[in-house]
Amino acid sequence: MQIEFELVTYDEELDKFELDETMYQIELNEDDAETYHLLKDSDLHLYNWLKESDFFTKYIKEEVYPDSKNKKIAISDINGISFRRFYFFKVTSGDSHYEYFKKLYNIHEESDWQDREDVGEEILHHLSTKRQELILNLG
Amino acid sequence: MDNKYIDKMFSEMDKDLAKRGMSRRDAMKLAGISGAGMFMGGVTSASADDANTTVKSNAKGKIVIVGGGLAGMSTAARLTLNLSNPDITVIEPQELSVSYQPGQTLVGGGIWDEDDIAYKRDDFVPDGVKVVKEKAILFNPQENKLTTDKGTVISYDYLILATGLHLDFERIKGLEEAGRAMSAGDNEKLLKALGDDGICSIYTAKGSTKTWEQMQKFIAKAKSASPDKKIQFVFTHPSTPVKCGGAPKKIMYLTNARLKEADARENAELTFYPNGGAMFGVPEYHDAILGQFKRENFKWHYRHNLIEVDKEKKIAVFDAKWQEKGPWDPVLKDYEVIPKHEKVRVPYDFLHITPPQLAPREIAESDLGSAKGWVPVNKETLQHIRYENVFSLGDVAQVPMGKTGGSVRKQYKVLVDNLIALMNGKKLEAKYAGYTVCPLITDIGTVMLAEFDWTVKPTPLLPLDPTVERWMWWLMKVHALKPMTMYGMLSGRA
Repeated sequence: MQIEFELVTYDEELDKFELDETMYQIELNEDDAETYHLLKDSDLHLYNWLKESDFFTKYIKEEVYPDSKNKKIAISDINGISFRRFYFFKVTSGDSHYEYFKKLYNIHEESDWQDREDVGEEILHHLSTKRQELILNLG
Repeated sequence: MDNKYIDKMFSEMDKDLAKRGMSRRDAMKLAGISGAGMFMGGVTSASADDANTTVKSNAKGKIVIVGGGLAGMSTAARLTLNLSNPDITVIEPQELSVSYQPGQTLVGGGIWDEDDIAYKRDDFVPDGVKVVKEKAILFNPQENKLTTDKGTVISYDYLILATGLHLDFERIKGLEEAGRAMSAGDNEKLLKALGDDGICSIYTAKGSTKTWEQMQKFIAKAKSASPDKKIQFVFTHPSTPVKCGGAPKKIMYLTNARLKEADARENAELTFYPNGGAMFGVPEYHDAILGQFKRENFKWHYRHNLIEVDKEKKIAVFDAKWQEKGPWDPVLKDYEVIPKHEKVRVPYDFLHITPPQLAPREIAESDLGSAKGWVPVNKETLQHIRYENVFSLGDVAQVPMGKTGGSVRKQYKVLVDNLIALMNGKKLEAKYAGYTVCPLITDIGTVMLAEFDWTVKPTPLLPLDPTVERWMWWLMKVHALKPMTMYGMLSGRA
C-alpha cells in the first residue's frame, strides 16, 4: 500500500516552520503496512513510527531533499492526519486545537478564573519542547 | 493541643441543635457522617488507636517546613506520627497562623464571630516540633539553606513549602495603599484602604468582620430604599487563581439571605462579575449554580475583571473581555479567535472584592518559584520539579484546583508518604488525584456540597445528588468541618 504525506521545514535561526506544500507518496511493504494499520488511530505513535523508520528517512534523504545537509524537517500530514497544529498553533487558534492540546497535556482549565490566553501560553510552553521531539534532523 | 477549643465548639453545636430539637448524635446520623465518633468527643481514643498501629519509619534527616498554617502544621503533625526520630522545624511568624479560614465566609455573613475562627499557632505545635517565629525571606536551594528576616540561616535536608498565598489588593487601581495582605494578622493598611463606605472582603479574618458590618449597614439602607432605586450589591472574582473559589459566591448568597431576612430583598440588586466565563469549572455544578442564580433573581456578567475602584464616586471599573471570530487560518484550516476588551464602569453601594492572589514575593522571585510564581511541583507526587528534596502543598503549590482546605486534606498525606519514601531511598508512589471540595453555602441553612477532582466531574463521597442544596451539608459546614480540620487534620490523622 501507499501512504501520502506532507512536510514542513524548520528554520532553526528563526525558530519557525514552513509548509513544504508538496504531497509525497511512499510505498509500504507488507510488514510496514501492518504497522501502519495498527498505529493509524493513534496520531503521535504513527508519527514517531514513521519518523523513526529507516525506509522513510532514506526516502526523504534520497528523493525529497537530496541536498539535505543540516536540514531539519517535520511531518505535517500523514494520510489526512494533520500534525500542523504542533508547528503552527498560536494563542488565537481555534477552539478545536485548544481542546486537542488540553487533552494531550492534561491541562485542567479552571474556567471560573482562567483566561484563554493563559491556557494558550501554557500550550505554547509545552510545544516548545514537543516540537524538538518531532523534528527530524537529516544530518 | 488545647481542649478548650473543642469544648467550645461542641457547646455551640449542642446549643444550635437543641433549638431544632436534635441531639448531636441524631444530627450526625442525618448527615451520614460515619466517622461521626470523631466529632462526638471520640478524638482521643481514635487517635490513640491510630498512633499505636502506625509503623514508624527510622528515616532520618532535618525537615524544614516554611509556613505553619493548616497545610504546614498538619504535615508536621503527620510526620511526627510516621517518623520514629523526627527532626522538624516550622518557620512561621504569624501568631494566628492556624486560624480557620473556611469560617471567614460565616463571619462575613454574621453567622460566626471572628473569635470562632481565631486559633493560635502555639496551641497546635506537635510534640517535638521546633517553631522559628520568623519569616523565611531568602532561599538557596542549591545549598539547602534559607535565611529569615532576622538574619537566621537555617539549613535543611528536606524542605516543605507551605507558605500560603498573598492577597494582591494593591494591584487594583485606587487600592494601591492596601498593599499585599495575608488572611491572618491585623491587616491595618488594608482595612484603612478599603475605608468605611461599602468596600469589603472576606479574604482576611479582620476583613470578614468588616464585611458583616458593611453588609448590615447597606441592608439597613436597602430597607429604606425602593424597588425603583435599588441598593447595588456588587461581587467580584479576579483573573488569578483564588483560594476557595466558591467563597466569592458564598458571600453573595449570604448577603441575599440577610436581605430576605430583613425584608429588604426587593430593594436590592445583587450582581456577580466573575473574570471567567462560567460559574464553576465542573459543568454539573455550573448548571446547578446558574439555576440558583435565576431562582434568587441575581444578575451576572461573565469575563469582567475588577481593575479599579473609584472610592469617591463609588464606581467599580472592570476590564470586560469577549471574543470575536477572526480570519480564516489556511494552514490550520480553522477560524482564529480574537480576544477583545474594554473598560466597564459599574456604580456600587456595597462592593465585595475577591482580590487577585499570587505567590509570596520571596517564593516567586527565588529559584523555587515558577514563571507564574507558584511552586512548580509534580501535581501528583507534590515533589518540586527541579529540587528533589523540596516539596510543596496548599495554596502556594502549582497544583490545579488545589487551593482549598479540602485539597490540603488529601495533599498532606500524599506529601508525607512521598517524603518518607524519598528519605528511605524508595520510589515516590503516593499520588494526589486532584480531589477538592467546596461546600457552597446557598442560603442560611443550605449548602451544595461540590466535590470534584481532575476528571472535572462530580465525585460525591456519599451516593446523593451532589447538585442538591441540603440542610445536612449546612450542618456539616457549620459544625463538623471545623472540628475535623482543627482536631483531625492538625493532629495529622484526618
